[in-house]
Amino acid sequence: MTRHEQILDCLMVHLERLSPKGGKLHADADLANELGLDSVNVMDLLLEVEDEFDISVPVNVIADIHTPRQLASAIEKIEAA
Amino acid sequence: MTELCITATPTFNHIAQRLADFETLPEALDYAAQGCTGYNFYDSRGNLMTPLFYVELRRRALAAARRLHGLGLKRGDRVAVIADTSPAFMEIFFGCQYGGFVPVPLPISMSIGGRERYLQRLRRLLKSCDARVAIAPESMVSFVRDASDGMALDYSGSIDDFHALDTPDVELTPSRPDEIAYLQYTSGSTGFPRGVVIRQHAVMANLFAIVNSGLAVRPMDRCVSWLPFYHDMGLVGFVLGPMASQISVDYIGPREFAMRPRLWLTLLSRHRGTISFAPPFGYNLCANRLRLGDSERLDLSAWRIAGVGAEPVHADVLERFAEHFAPAGFSPSAFLPSYGMAENSLAVSFAARQKGIQIDRVDRTCLEHHGRALQADRADAGINETVFVNCGTALPGHEIVIRDEQGRTLPQRVVGRITIRGPSLMSGYFMDEEQTRRALDDDGWLDTGDLGYLTEQGLFVTGRHKDLIIINGRNIWPQDIEQLAEQFFGVQRSDVSAFSAPEEAESDVVLLVQSRLKDNDERARLVKELTARIRSEFGVTCHVQLMPPRSLPRTSSGKISRSEACRQYIHARELAVDNACRVAAVSS
Repeated sequence: MTRHEQILDCLMVHLERLSPKGGKLHADADLANELGLDSVNVMDLLLEVEDEFDISVPVNVIADIHTPRQLASAIEKIEAA
Repeated sequence: MTELCITATPTFNHIAQRLADFETLPEALDYAAQGCTGYNFYDSRGNLMTPLFYVELRRRALAAARRLHGLGLKRGDRVAVIADTSPAFMEIFFGCQYGGFVPVPLPISMSIGGRERYLQRLRRLLKSCDARVAIAPESMVSFVRDASDGMALDYSGSIDDFHALDTPDVELTPSRPDEIAYLQYTSGSTGFPRGVVIRQHAVMANLFAIVNSGLAVRPMDRCVSWLPFYHDMGLVGFVLGPMASQISVDYIGPREFAMRPRLWLTLLSRHRGTISFAPPFGYNLCANRLRLGDSERLDLSAWRIAGVGAEPVHADVLERFAEHFAPAGFSPSAFLPSYGMAENSLAVSFAARQKGIQIDRVDRTCLEHHGRALQADRADAGINETVFVNCGTALPGHEIVIRDEQGRTLPQRVVGRITIRGPSLMSGYFMDEEQTRRALDDDGWLDTGDLGYLTEQGLFVTGRHKDLIIINGRNIWPQDIEQLAEQFFGVQRSDVSAFSAPEEAESDVVLLVQSRLKDNDERARLVKELTARIRSEFGVTCHVQLMPPRSLPRTSSGKISRSEACRQYIHARELAVDNACRVAAVSS
């Protein structure tokens, strides 16, 4: 399992728990449009991510992320930096 | 690795406190720089990253002023800066004060996947203020570069690049009392940004009234804030106010607060903060995220002013917060409701200190039908009453008058438009005479657009800015949502109406759309796409309802009346609920 896959798995667990009202959860689902994450959900998710991976996600990164897969890539990049 | 030991700026100051009795902001900073207090910036875990003593801020601001001169800026030119909660913002903001330039704080987007929308917004703001310079923190420089693409700015770049610029040895003439101190684009509609022009004398008049009358600031006060610097409450209340009274502030960013609301209280506890403000949703977020044992670990007993503003104040939210944090020594009498807006620099009125939330119970039927706020009959308390929170009396030198649509003064306990006058008012909206004329009359009265009534005790706000949608502290202009909807197939221009959903609804916003679409699949698709698009663009949940043609109520001028549409919607909803109950009763 690559690091990217590990991170993605972990994200999916958190997303499952946030139980967005929208569509089916998958790695390329649009977080806002399909999964229906609102601003409070997004903050919850980021909190989980920051605590779990012990990183801090800069605010500018958020604007470019649409899917769980993209978020996983961003986290991987921040970890590596 | 050696760890640098840095400590926060002290609460105790060795110079005599002067409570904002200065003519200009640079004059105020000159004085604050003689003391040992300043601003402190913390990271998302509550660790101190940077203390910025006022003396150091002044030194950096003077250098920034020279660099801006070096770029060839003329007096009064606008310098846009992304208002990140950081020392860099302070440096640029105060650099403009010393150089006679006009800083324009730009907002930060926190929505996921929101890059395009954010760029659009920045572009409009940069155009609206005719910025000559745009500066961002290193992490956000791409936004500023992309947004200003094609504009002939004198400079756009990161704060680090800015530091590399020359500091020519020019003589600086700080901003004078009658010059513009800053432009504030706080809560304007995205489509039609309005830059509030605040001059030095206006902001100083407001600061003087706030720190003397509103808060009665004293030497050992210390502020804590997570409010964004691109909002009046964050900028004027918690950047300029503390500096003008030479007291220290502890900051976390708004995003850090949204993620870890308890961090706010931790800072207050750790540094024995005495003054902090938040909109009601901030208090709500803390109460919601409370973990067992939290309040025992906190000491909030020093917190003497827990200000509340920027949103309609609901007493029950605050009561819940007070209950939760009573074990931490939080006193409900610390709550200080206030009323204000960027057009008046910041504050218009404060409730009385140490009295907590004072409420007025009024008869709901009478309020809805006659616009009169008569005190509810005690006998049937709670059944048919509405509760409003006292926002206090106008600051000294400021006036509040309630008027009807024709501008006539209304007596006490009659609901009307809140109009204000005084020395803190803006001089207008930047380069927008039409909007300025609409807001400010010849006698110097500002029509706030808010609704409320006065009693002997003070001002009660019954509805904020007509039609404005406020979600989690964010202001959303209904016309922005409507404009987006109008771009969809099957939706005609001005066939839509957006407004805040009634409190008990599942969504944040309601959008009514007149549509001629006949096909059921097409109708369902339109609703689904609109809902999704509004969620991604605005980050709010929206209930989209299709209506038959010509069913939305219109005003005499032919425009759709949002307030009437909202009333009809609520009425229809109540009928539906009633019917459902009746059906349930019959079938059981």
